[in-house]
Amino acid sequence: MPWAVALPKKFRSKSFPMKNNFPVVVFIGQPNCGKSTLFNALAGPKAETSNFPGTTVKHTHSKVNIEGRLLNIIDLPGTYSLNPSEPAEKVVLTHLFQEKPDLIVNVVDASILGRSLELSLELIELEDPMIVALNMVDLAEKKGVQVDSAKLEKRLGVKVVPTIALHGRGIKQLLEAAFYRLDERCPVRSPRWSLDVEEEVENLAKKIPADFPIVANRRFTAVKLIEANRAFCCEVLEELDPILKRDVDLAKKNIEEKRRAPAYEAIAAERHHLALKISEQSSRVERGKHLSWDKRLDDILMHPFLGYPLLAGVFLAFFFLIFKIGNPLEGSLLRALSGWRGFFSKLLGSGLLFHLVDGLLQGIGGGIAIVLPYFIPLLFFMSFLEDLGYLARAGFLLDTFMHRIGLHGKSVSPFLLGFGCNVPAIMSTRILESQRDRIITSLLIPFIPCSARTTIVLALVAFYLGPMWALGFYIFNILLVAGIGRFLTFFFKAPSPGLILEIPTLKRPSLKNMLDKTYLQLKSFLKFAWPILIGGSVVLSLVQFLGWDKIFNTLLSPLVVQGLGLPRELGMTLIFGFLRKELSLLMMLQALGVDYKNLLTVISPEQIVVFTAFVSFFIPCLSTFAVLWKEMGKKVAFLSAGLSVAVAVLVSLFIRVVI
Amino acid sequence: MSLAQAPRGQSLKIVSIRGGEGVRRRLFALGFHAGDLVEVNAQGIFRGPFLINNLTSDISVALGRGIAQKIQVEVVSDEK
Repeated sequence: MPWAVALPKKFRSKSFPMKNNFPVVVFIGQPNCGKSTLFNALAGPKAETSNFPGTTVKHTHSKVNIEGRLLNIIDLPGTYSLNPSEPAEKVVLTHLFQEKPDLIVNVVDASILGRSLELSLELIELEDPMIVALNMVDLAEKKGVQVDSAKLEKRLGVKVVPTIALHGRGIKQLLEAAFYRLDERCPVRSPRWSLDVEEEVENLAKKIPADFPIVANRRFTAVKLIEANRAFCCEVLEELDPILKRDVDLAKKNIEEKRRAPAYEAIAAERHHLALKISEQSSRVERGKHLSWDKRLDDILMHPFLGYPLLAGVFLAFFFLIFKIGNPLEGSLLRALSGWRGFFSKLLGSGLLFHLVDGLLQGIGGGIAIVLPYFIPLLFFMSFLEDLGYLARAGFLLDTFMHRIGLHGKSVSPFLLGFGCNVPAIMSTRILESQRDRIITSLLIPFIPCSARTTIVLALVAFYLGPMWALGFYIFNILLVAGIGRFLTFFFKAPSPGLILEIPTLKRPSLKNMLDKTYLQLKSFLKFAWPILIGGSVVLSLVQFLGWDKIFNTLLSPLVVQGLGLPRELGMTLIFGFLRKELSLLMMLQALGVDYKNLLTVISPEQIVVFTAFVSFFIPCLSTFAVLWKEMGKKVAFLSAGLSVAVAVLVSLFIRVVI
Repeated sequence: MSLAQAPRGQSLKIVSIRGGEGVRRRLFALGFHAGDLVEVNAQGIFRGPFLINNLTSDISVALGRGIAQKIQVEVVSDEK
């Protein structure tokens, strides 16, 4: 969904409340705790949600008017701790410290309370105004865990509001608590740790010189100095303040001697034990209810043998369902479209006016008849799999195969997102810790058939040659990605760290959430992609009317006619394919000047396959190219473009020879 | 013994977590600490990743073989 990049711009222009006085409220929580769902419940569907850790890789701003009060709400990517290791998590720290929020809303997954509280405790160390949204209490109850929010509130020392973001429950109480905290300063005090560690922290806190930049408070700064990673402590601090550096090293050494473990581990263990203790004291667990439907389903979904046929089954069902829904729709809508064209051609003759109207009709009608019949079901089923939590399971199953191409299972999620759209997929590579993995994954993503290319494959190959051809093309495409991956790892040899991927609990997808997500993505398609399709069709009409298309077609004919063996009129459509891949498809009929029923009279089935292959691979579309540039730099963007051209030419020639 | 060699479906106690600082920090952040009770639930085919259930904090994590080898565990006898 290339339009997804453009989406937050709307908020950006209104955001950054430097000069106005709207209170800034940030949503922080661990990955997959439902921050974005909660955010959407407050601000309307704006942030993408899914049941996969790391869906939100950048922040979403929204100014909302709640009961006459304006608030600036910021939804931050999920983070496990304030010592980030993924690029996406670093966004959190930047925002937390730069935007100086008036209130922190810590979203906590009640079904895994112990682990979630580790971040809460770290946030409380800031001693900034904060409330806790105890989310997914329904899921916790299903697991047999009853959380007593009053007890939890007492132990943490901050307001706790139970919520079920998915059903909008507890939102009102959360807002009331938020407004109360914004109006009345309620002091927050961090709980203290075991004496042996605590005394070292307090000692260091006292020694921090007055001119040192204090973050939040002295104790928090001291803690962060002790647990920060080596690079920061040794290099930056050595230059900044060598005396303090000595004190920090001493504190670390003392803790290490006492605990016989690195200082950062001792501190992590302190939080862990405190979190577990609080979690135990404030919740009642009924065992036995444990083995519910999701556990049993999980045993099958991730079974070492059964899991794979199931994965293949899911993929095939996905593919054929979309085809079965889209195919009859495409047929009848195209029939209607060609009827309209006949009507206008009789009415307007063949002058400039007809060409303009025809271009407009092709753009608008093509969008409705060719793109939407496949696109809407694709979005809907994709959101079903996402919400269910199947993506992480696919990651687990495919890890073995990803190792063959030099990556690991964590890259599966960007890849799977790529089937929707390459743009968010490339952004989501931020969840990968190693730069090497990010580069390889980003270079491979443009070869994943996104929804636009799936549409081309379904609307062209499946529609004219039958679904098995389309499926074959798809499988070939996936093998190609594996082959390119294998090839790339020759050049990026550095070992990739092993797989560490959280598998979230399976959740029953909610129809409302799925519809909201489909709507959100469809809206941005209509807003950003459709105008390009319409504009492109009109431009092509004009170019054809003026006869300029012959110039481009002649220029490209060595490649198009001699190289690929395609009709020379298609040269022009390739240029437009850079804007949007679907545009090449819409323009194909227009450029060849035939009705959809007669397409096979001017072009052979083999040529359709070659054309589809070339259009699919020959260059990342404009939005993908832009996001590659932005995320990975100029070099990777151009490398990707070059790689695409080379692969497209080789693959098309290969297909031409083989078929 | 390491988590990679541990028997499936048994309660295990994490004795220590080795490996580089980055990996260790990551595991701590995900809620894996020495002293936690864990269970190996499944393993992918062809020496694939392990599916580990952390019984202490009730979360599931897929760990690659290399990572699983760095986690030392001991069997906890089920006496109740």
